[in-house]
Amino acid sequence: MGRHANVIKIVGEENFQKIRTSKILLIGAGGIGSELLKDLILISFGEIHLVDLDTIDLSNLNRQFLFRHNDIKKAKSDTAIKAVSHFSDSKLVSFFGNIMNTEQFPIHWFSNYDIIFNALDNLPARRYVNKISQFLGMPLMESGTSGFDGYIQPIIPSLTECFDCTKKETPKTFPVCTIRSTPNQPIHCIVWAKNFLFNQLFTNQQTENSDNEKSDGSEKDWGTTDEKEIERIKQETSELVDLQNIVIENNPNKIINILEKLFINDIEKLLLIENLWTNTNLNNKKPTPISRKIINQMTTKKDEQDPPIFKQLDKTWSIDEQILKFIKITQTLMNRLQTEKSIEFDKDDNDTLEFVVTAANIRSYIFGIQMKSIFDSKQLAGNIIPAIATTNAIIAGLSSLSSLRVLNLLKYAELKDGKFTDLNMAFTSKASNFSQDRYLTNPKLATPSCKCSVCSMVVRGILKVSTEKLKTLKLIDLITLLSKTYGYTLSISVIDTKDQRLLADFDFDDLYEKSLHDLQISDGSILFISDEEDENDMVRKSMELYIDVDKDSTATNLIELPKIDVPLITVVTEASKEDITKPEITKLTTSGDEAIVILDDTEEPHHVDNKRPISESDDKNDSVHKKVKKVADDDDDVIELD
Amino acid sequence: MNQDNKNSTLSADEIALYDRQIRLWGMAAQARMRHAKVLLINLGSIGTEITKNIVLSGIGSLTILDDHEVEENNLGTQFFLDSESVGKLRLDVTQARIKDLNPRVKLEFDTANFKNKDEKYFKQFDLVIGTELTTNEIFYINSITRNFNIPLYVCGSNGLFAYIFVDLIKFESVDEKLKGTRPTEVGKSSNNKEIVDVVMYTDEDDDKKIYEKIKTVHNYKMFRDVLATATLKGKLNRRQLKRISSAVPLTFAALNIAKDTCEISLSQLQETLEKATDQLGVPIENVNKDYIQQFSNQLGVEFAPVAAVIGGAVSQDLINILGKRTSPINNFIIFDGTTLDMPIFEF
Repeated sequence: MGRHANVIKIVGEENFQKIRTSKILLIGAGGIGSELLKDLILISFGEIHLVDLDTIDLSNLNRQFLFRHNDIKKAKSDTAIKAVSHFSDSKLVSFFGNIMNTEQFPIHWFSNYDIIFNALDNLPARRYVNKISQFLGMPLMESGTSGFDGYIQPIIPSLTECFDCTKKETPKTFPVCTIRSTPNQPIHCIVWAKNFLFNQLFTNQQTENSDNEKSDGSEKDWGTTDEKEIERIKQETSELVDLQNIVIENNPNKIINILEKLFINDIEKLLLIENLWTNTNLNNKKPTPISRKIINQMTTKKDEQDPPIFKQLDKTWSIDEQILKFIKITQTLMNRLQTEKSIEFDKDDNDTLEFVVTAANIRSYIFGIQMKSIFDSKQLAGNIIPAIATTNAIIAGLSSLSSLRVLNLLKYAELKDGKFTDLNMAFTSKASNFSQDRYLTNPKLATPSCKCSVCSMVVRGILKVSTEKLKTLKLIDLITLLSKTYGYTLSISVIDTKDQRLLADFDFDDLYEKSLHDLQISDGSILFISDEEDENDMVRKSMELYIDVDKDSTATNLIELPKIDVPLITVVTEASKEDITKPEITKLTTSGDEAIVILDDTEEPHHVDNKRPISESDDKNDSVHKKVKKVADDDDDVIELD
Repeated sequence: MNQDNKNSTLSADEIALYDRQIRLWGMAAQARMRHAKVLLINLGSIGTEITKNIVLSGIGSLTILDDHEVEENNLGTQFFLDSESVGKLRLDVTQARIKDLNPRVKLEFDTANFKNKDEKYFKQFDLVIGTELTTNEIFYINSITRNFNIPLYVCGSNGLFAYIFVDLIKFESVDEKLKGTRPTEVGKSSNNKEIVDVVMYTDEDDDKKIYEKIKTVHNYKMFRDVLATATLKGKLNRRQLKRISSAVPLTFAALNIAKDTCEISLSQLQETLEKATDQLGVPIENVNKDYIQQFSNQLGVEFAPVAAVIGGAVSQDLINILGKRTSPINNFIIFDGTTLDMPIFEF
């Protein structure tokens, strides 16, 4: 019984040889990534390449079992590879970098692999890798967790649903007027303190007058049409500049002025706007300014030692304590500003966190909203998503198991006639409170959604071109070539999806004579090509063309169009046309931890209704509905203002 | 549970380390976990996963009982081992790596066979987990846990298939969930469960959200009784029975033969399968022929991804009951690794 005896019994000798020669790309070495790396090694895949852009943090250690205390601040991918060496029999390679960086990871680099595993924590990267998988026709094992909830979804391009076939929960936003004038939840006050107050005071404002008027003189959106309120906001903003000056001056005796302005004067002014409080439809709760007496009292205590409660981060402090802490922490930040010039809010920078939390709590107190502990507020302010070892282990186990079927390597569960819709996706069911009689829900994979702008509404291909050719190929040459090869008309429109730049369309030919290089088209650029309909209401399907610059090519004139057919289709409806003419290209946000993307609430119960082997009453499905909604609400809060 | 300093609060260091999970189950549950004393019998592939999960999560103390020597094929399923480990005692070669996972957890390693332990030995534990056990061994440990009123988890795998058995004897859980269109009613809610109290409350941040706090009493059966009486008759309709994975009757068939050993021949399996389908009420013609062959080939075979799923589910459930939150598994799970089917049966 050799070391691989168990795997061989499960997959068979022949498939085992395939496993040994398979090359895996694993993106993410965090919670799911650590677990997946272990599982893939134990399945004994021949080569596993691991990419991550992150370094190790203390709060990772409760679940990312390959990391130890003395690994903190080291690169995750490299540390993970070293930590598995004692049990690994696979060739392992680590990369430190952002998977969306086309210089480090161009598309031909991706094409070296047999399958991609996503163990990512953010939507933009998930979408990007999904697109790459579509361009290459390469299977993708998508997965995600958030607390007790998790899912896996195998994606086989053009045969099963892609990541973007179902709508994803997008970051939550709040109306500006709620934040500025009528908060009614703790999160509103935290957004005010973090995005508005903190930034104004401590973060170097490149766009200093952006809050007053736009440079082109156009009206700014104030979030309200109430003249009085706009007037008040304008004045408030100019007064904020005065506060900024106090902070820059670093005059501790003037911190009291900041308190008075924010928590007395501004509130009194708000109270003067009567329709905010008298209009019963709005149902706004009237604020009560802080008393001058408390502010004065706390100001006299500012140089005393910290009361012990300041160490208790999980307790909600009294209003007096909040004010005292606010004074002290403002002083600390003012001192820091002298040398740092600009301070960014960072949930792991305790000074900035305590400033935001105490300011938010004082504001909450004024508006009769419950105050929160530092611990609780941190989650809201830092968009922290809870994460545990067990869910990650389960999800990684499912993802690696399922990949064996995607690669058709299970001896006894062979894929019949390439019917990938016989395979299953899975999401947690009991742990997510959807069901008491199923630990997982495992609907079969669906076929691609015909309305999906990523996988169905466009054809995709890779244009291989040499560096030299990129400089000489004019836009009109490309258009002619596309027209000749695929049957497009000459009046196609060409958009650079990176910045939605229109390069050409039927009445815009100014750039025709420019070369692709002059148009800043480079390796990794994606061009979106669409055509006008003809007289029979038919239109050539739109295309996304990935520019793959072959830097090593000796053929200086190399240009290779993808060998694909672009069919004529009947004109699409206006609504879906919207979708495809605005292909979504997203930029990386290096947000915190593993994020889940919960399918939106109209999609998920659909699976539950139709596919669940043991059916439940409608009543229960209704609560599934609500639960999905609740989960999404709780975990996907990304605080965005304006 | 350990009575002294039971209510002590978590240190700032612990809060920082366990931040991402405290946000899920709260400080109180984390503090309760710190005082729990858990026994794990056998450190195979599932045992390895469970150890990793609960040590990382900050369980108070974990004792591992295992008298096995490392075989070469273990290297492909157990990640605390390395190629130097073969022929040595498992616990001798894995200790250092387990301790390294989380220095806060009190660990004990004992290379005795659990059957040679005096019954009283088990009394010290708050919870027992048995892995890789034969049916007779499960009977034995279950009688002890019943004697001392200790919650028991048993799990095992056969290649792509695996099961979890839970005996918490009697357990009271409190679940919180959004109120559905119909309010939850007090009374017997299923085979082994009875809802004894429902309290409604409003979300403190959003008064439109109404939640129910549901107190449920869970009754459990001993493994012996489950094996003898488990049935789906009257619980599932014909269509649902048709969808039941063949792994369900096959798992029961295997557990019924494997009294003292894992060595079972195909013909033996087929014989008991008939009895198992009969008792369960699953028509024998529903059992997939390929599955019988596959199951027989994979009897007792460990597989890392399956161990990850089962180890994850068991660890999660025991963290839940120690933290006293949400309903535990009641009382049998059968996992099919080809379809990812993972139903929970109340036998």
